[in-house]
Amino acid sequence: MYAIAIHGGAGAVPRATLSPERDRRYREGLEAALDGGYAVLEAGGTSLDAVATAVRLLEDHPSFNAGHGAALTRDGAVELDAAIMDGRQLRAGAVASVRHVKNPIELARRVMEKSRHVLLVGAGAEEFALEEHFTLVPNHYFRTAERLEQLESEQRGERVSDLVPPAPHGTVGAVACDSRGDLAAATSTGGMTNKRPGRVGDSPIIGAGTYAKNGVCAVSATGHGEYFIRVVAAHHVCAAVEYRGLTLTQAVHELLHQILRGLGGDGGLIAIDREGRIVMDFSTEGMFRGARTAAGHREIAIY
Amino acid sequence: MSRPTLPGSIAVLLIAAAALLSGAAAGAAPAPIAIAIHGGAGVIEPAKMSAAREASYRAGLAAALDAGYDVLERGGTSLDAVTAAVRLMEDDPQFNAGRGAVLNHDGDAELDAAIMDGAGPRAGAVAGIRHVKNPIELARLVMEKSPHVLLIAEGAEDFALEQGMVLVPRSYFRTEAREHELEEARRAEKARAAGTPTTQVLAGRGASMGTVGAVALDRAGNLAAATSTGGLTNKHRGRVGDTPLIGAGTYASNESCAVSGTGAGEYFIRQVVAYDVCAGMHYRRLTLAQAVHEVVQVKLRHTGGEGGVIALDRAGNIVMDFNSVGMFRGARDSSGRREIAMYRDAAEH
Repeated sequence: MYAIAIHGGAGAVPRATLSPERDRRYREGLEAALDGGYAVLEAGGTSLDAVATAVRLLEDHPSFNAGHGAALTRDGAVELDAAIMDGRQLRAGAVASVRHVKNPIELARRVMEKSRHVLLVGAGAEEFALEEHFTLVPNHYFRTAERLEQLESEQRGERVSDLVPPAPHGTVGAVACDSRGDLAAATSTGGMTNKRPGRVGDSPIIGAGTYAKNGVCAVSATGHGEYFIRVVAAHHVCAAVEYRGLTLTQAVHELLHQILRGLGGDGGLIAIDREGRIVMDFSTEGMFRGARTAAGHREIAIY
Repeated sequence: MSRPTLPGSIAVLLIAAAALLSGAAAGAAPAPIAIAIHGGAGVIEPAKMSAAREASYRAGLAAALDAGYDVLERGGTSLDAVTAAVRLMEDDPQFNAGRGAVLNHDGDAELDAAIMDGAGPRAGAVAGIRHVKNPIELARLVMEKSPHVLLIAEGAEDFALEQGMVLVPRSYFRTEAREHELEEARRAEKARAAGTPTTQVLAGRGASMGTVGAVALDRAGNLAAATSTGGLTNKHRGRVGDTPLIGAGTYASNESCAVSGTGAGEYFIRQVVAYDVCAGMHYRRLTLAQAVHEVVQVKLRHTGGEGGVIALDRAGNIVMDFNSVGMFRGARDSSGRREIAMYRDAAEH
């Protein structure tokens, strides 16, 4: 059964600060990405195309922390990370600290398909983008007025709300299972607001923020990246299902609520197995998320 | 879901039993200490290795092994031991890390390193470094002095300066031997583009798989792992392999084992090799040797991923396994074992 799940970041989402207008904007963005990815599956497309489509739509939406509207570094620039993984042959592609590529998820996919490498970073990744005939954009393409305000208040030492407006720790991602049972995962992020230039979180690290293995599961994570790296979060979920026979729900629950919480790290993740079963769980107050399956289930949720 | 699952309660009992056993052992004999190192895996053929070159590699490995072991013997931490061993191999131009690292397509060394403390889990890593003499020391500073795990390129070097490190010019890392290798690799690349059979290309590849790494167990029972590399000869600028990726080329957890890998990095990333060895031990109750064998000889071999790993568990068991022709390696522990090797056991002389 084909199905797709997406996330747009996890964190504290105080209901009071999420105005009806903002709430609607987030939901519309999630819906567009969810339905865009689902349409690919419905037309018989691959899970890889579905997750790439959903993530690209979230990258283009200014409310989410990826692509246009990504969080700013302490220097006021945008540095983007993304990864994609094809569960069929464990093929993967990733980029980190990219500053001039409109859709980092497309560059990650190109790394997977056209280079002999998995991870390219910084200026070298952009050199590869040029070799692959990507059109680069100036760094200010990504910057929004809301992100600048967020950076300024963070630098003044004011507490920045985790998700509103818009999410400083957000990350976007998608996992999908297509009609052939092939799994794929994709994740894209601007990282943390006010981050040190060169800091790379879990998103582009295969096994940490992103993993897909046919017959087991596909995972995309969001949250406090450093913790997700140390516990190899996405691969941990797959290993728990494959090696210990845990259900996907149990594996995700153990990771988020026992292992990561025990270390003091919070966040959320979405996962899907070969039957198209979806798990969306988080240890934070909320997680922007959506799921849609061939069985007719369709949901968008925040809390 | 709030109740512990059955496997969970069994695990708790086993951990409790293991704690009792190790407590009893500690009363009877001093806790074991151990260290293993590698200097890369790949095409290392006895026929192509002159006696002088072989002696020189052995001396380099022995110096790193003994330096790391000395730290442990004096009661130092496994973290200090792996740092000391890796730093020496970074400084030794024979190995593909620090000075003497392989050169990228543009003729520069771009260095990656990671370190992990099994007691944490804490980890630090750097990638795309061009001006830091000992990347392993910068990785350790990332772990100890920043809230982050991975810093890359200029941002990482900026952090190095903030921490008072002295940067070195790119020429510091470049050696004549590596410049020659790069020229050969570029020729092979052209030949490949022109459709020449790939055997010559492969011949040029082996030499570049010389990542260095160390795993250690200290008297307090803590495991640590460290890995450092220049990556692949003629690599694309910005290419990052498995070395600085926690879980892929480097992993350590006191719950299972410490692992450092070397080989075709892209395959190690996809299989999350280092963590998968630990998961095999921790969750499937495989022995360290079984867990390593399955990852290196079954999973990696099956996908075409050439290379090897060194691994160490809390009982002091050392496993050094590879599916390539050879792997520069060394092991030393408190039972009196001390060995340096390059080829498969049968070919050792």
